[in-house]
Amino acid sequence: MKALILNGERKNEASLTRLEKIIETEMSSMGCVVESVLLREKTIAKCMGCFDCWVKTPGVCAINDFGNQVVRKVAASDIVVFLTPVTFGGYSSELKKAIDRFGCPMLLPYFRKVNNEIHHKPRYNPMPYLIGVGVLPGPDAESERIFKTLVERNSINFDVPVPRSAVLYETRDSESITKEVRALITDLKERR
Amino acid sequence: MRATLFVGSSRGPKSTSHSLASYLAQKLEQKGVLTRLLFIQQALSSHKGIDDLLKAIEQTDVLVLAAPLFADSHHASVIRALELIHEHIRKNADEKKRIMMAVSNSGFPEAGQNNVSLAISRRFALECGFTWAGGLALGGGEAIHGKPLEKAGGLARNIRKSLDMTAEALANGEHVPEEAARLMALPLMPRCIYVQAANPLLVWIKARQNGSKTSVRHRPYQ
Repeated sequence: MKALILNGERKNEASLTRLEKIIETEMSSMGCVVESVLLREKTIAKCMGCFDCWVKTPGVCAINDFGNQVVRKVAASDIVVFLTPVTFGGYSSELKKAIDRFGCPMLLPYFRKVNNEIHHKPRYNPMPYLIGVGVLPGPDAESERIFKTLVERNSINFDVPVPRSAVLYETRDSESITKEVRALITDLKERR
Repeated sequence: MRATLFVGSSRGPKSTSHSLASYLAQKLEQKGVLTRLLFIQQALSSHKGIDDLLKAIEQTDVLVLAAPLFADSHHASVIRALELIHEHIRKNADEKKRIMMAVSNSGFPEAGQNNVSLAISRRFALECGFTWAGGLALGGGEAIHGKPLEKAGGLARNIRKSLDMTAEALANGEHVPEEAARLMALPLMPRCIYVQAANPLLVWIKARQNGSKTSVRHRPYQ
């Protein structure tokens, strides 16, 4: 299986490299080929909301920068991991700029109904598993709840099965973090 | 009293977020509140713009965030603005009392799809030490498409009523009324009409008009 880790750490803040390495190690040990992208080092312009990726160059963003590479990598992956400092309960701006750029190209302009809500149909079949790994300095029940709900909502929008998320605390030791990461990625099966 | 209204849409003045913010700003002005409208994407494009954005926060008593839903939360530029504001407030140990509200608009018809976005706005307010005055959620916002609300006719009747109530409350330093939230969340049109926007024939025609060389369902990366 191919796994992609999108690392949304911010410049001049706590590095998420330790966690990224743990996730890479655990995924490699279950047979995944893992690629990690440190998003703040990449040129990814903000999504313009133009919808060219639907009605002009279907599936391809009009902005020719690394954002298009992100779409390509997500489409080719079995598992996509969002690794991010939990930011007001959501994703960091670094991670979100990548998600905004693959959000529309990975979907079709057509609708489907899920739990009596309108959502877009997926462009690719199957869509990759989505795993949200948020990082906080310490326990924060409200932020954790918002983060998990956000990952669930994204999973509905991107038509991915079984949303998985965890919020990890920076201060925890590597062994307990490894256990949590293993619990997140267990039972993931080949989908292609 | 000073209010700063941030427009979080990448479409700037041609956006539904701007329609909402500018109408609310007008109503606040009528109640004697000094208002200032700022476009987040424009502000973030230069150091001067960021300085202006942070100065506006320093001077404001009321902060309004009007932003579209992007993948269930805010557009990355809105999140970046919130990160910068939070960092600025903490660095300067700024303890000025401010209230904040947000209005989130989704392209999907169900206003409830904005709930996580509003929760993030509320969390931001709390982490900055602002009093959270409440949120408004609009579904099917694309139907407004940047039109001034006064010119949007019956389609925007409930939106105008909601913002009229909200302006009254904010000018008095009060919470956004529940009735304002209820009115904003009412569907703009029956869902069976809304879904026609994604009618395959109409989409195909649009793609042809744009000179698309591939099928709308094209999978370039598979």
